[in-house]
Amino acid sequence: MANILIVEDDTDLNAAYKIILESEKNYTVKSAYNGQEALETLKNFEPDLILLDLLMPIMGGLEFLQNYELQKKHPNVKVLIFTNMENSPEVTEAYKLGAHRCIIKSWTAPQNLSRVITDALDEKQEKPVEATR
Amino acid sequence: MSRSKDSDASSLSAHEERAQAQALFNSIGDGVITTDEFGKITRINPAALKILGYKENELLNTWFPQKIIAVDENGEAINLIDRPITKAFLSGESVYEKMYYRRKNGQKVPVTVTVSPIILGNRPVGAVEVFRDITVEYEIDRMKSEFISLASHQLRTPLSAIKTYSHMLIDGYMGEITPPQRKSLQTVVVAANRMNELISTLLNITRIEAGSITITTKQVNLHKVIEEILKELDHTANAKQIQLSLKVATRQPTVRTDPLIIKEIISNLVSNAIKYTPEEGSVTVTISSRGKQHVMVRVEDTGFGIPEQAQTQIFTKFFRAQNVVRRETSGTGLGLYLVHALTEQLGGKVWFTSKEDVGTTFYVSLPRQRQAALKPQPISVV
Repeated sequence: MANILIVEDDTDLNAAYKIILESEKNYTVKSAYNGQEALETLKNFEPDLILLDLLMPIMGGLEFLQNYELQKKHPNVKVLIFTNMENSPEVTEAYKLGAHRCIIKSWTAPQNLSRVITDALDEKQEKPVEATR
Repeated sequence: MSRSKDSDASSLSAHEERAQAQALFNSIGDGVITTDEFGKITRINPAALKILGYKENELLNTWFPQKIIAVDENGEAINLIDRPITKAFLSGESVYEKMYYRRKNGQKVPVTVTVSPIILGNRPVGAVEVFRDITVEYEIDRMKSEFISLASHQLRTPLSAIKTYSHMLIDGYMGEITPPQRKSLQTVVVAANRMNELISTLLNITRIEAGSITITTKQVNLHKVIEEILKELDHTANAKQIQLSLKVATRQPTVRTDPLIIKEIISNLVSNAIKYTPEEGSVTVTISSRGKQHVMVRVEDTGFGIPEQAQTQIFTKFFRAQNVVRRETSGTGLGLYLVHALTEQLGGKVWFTSKEDVGTTFYVSLPRQRQAALKPQPISVV
């Protein structure tokens, strides 16, 4: 059992991830379509894990993390960045704000998604070391 | 009398020569600064003053490294020993670097700098530095990089939906499907994977060549990463009835490295192995230790192999061996170039053994602990 919040502006992908996760392992899944909606949803929902897109309208993933104050106020919540922008400064910034792991959407098959989430829920939070270019 | 006239003529000529030399110096479009052997500024041209925002009397006879502050991308001052002028004096050779100078008003300006020692009678008597403001080029490269990131994101978004829904249909999330429907959907997945690979390859090559790969180091469990890769390429392998397998021959399949880059490297190798192996062949990935400090990943196939005469070029850009071009027309010739470049970025090594019509084995050796770069680096134009 785990509570999962999907924050993804693409409605098709958001719906797909919800179907996949709800069909497996008894997860309770809620959806939001931008960072601001996510913050609203989180007033009444305590997640164990957040699947977070970075590039979203109204409020993107990085701004959401800053507002959510992940490390300071919710250190036990795992945040998986779900993006198509690998190796970008935004991903590094997300790690600095407390994100646990980055997953590339277009690489990830559905059968891997719930496994990745299970692993993340079981793993300890770790601070990455950043290298210069 | 005539002797006096001659000396007047020659001193006028000398005066004219000095005036011409000064005019030449003042006309140079790039910034030029000369120093004596102690680094004291002896001459400075108008272009240099404009770039730095100083007046001539504020800089002449001052100590160059102290007065003109050089900083890195983060605004941290570059140590004296790492300054190009110091390196030029110590080595006796010209030094070329990119960095930032602090203008008088405190702003950072990106510059390219060439410093050469002035040698007279076999000893350095000073240095001459030529530098150029590259703000415009820097901005163009930054915009190019942002465009590439955004374009790849926009291309990948619909691709994510195609792949996700195709997988969901195949895996029965929307109900049972018939075998012909399954086969058609597998074709869609294979095509989507190819397109995804191409976008990743183009994006990463552009970033490598611009020096703008960002590496984030984390503890990575290679066993899990490779299991994910094999699951993702499962449909591609099944379409050719190729057997994919993973062997773990070490108790410690972990490395401290960039998880996305290592995934890109191994995905490329496994995907290549599948592509260049005929139907009913096999691809085996093995993780093992290589001494105490390194982990090795081996990707072995029963494929077409690489002809001996092609083996020295296999990591070069756009190269594809003729034996596979005839049999498998898709492929950009960029995958192995990318694998090689990315593996180097992680401090690792990649090599292979191969025999035509028998198969190929690629080896990737990675240090267990990737050392983060600690020295300030010259700017990489993004």
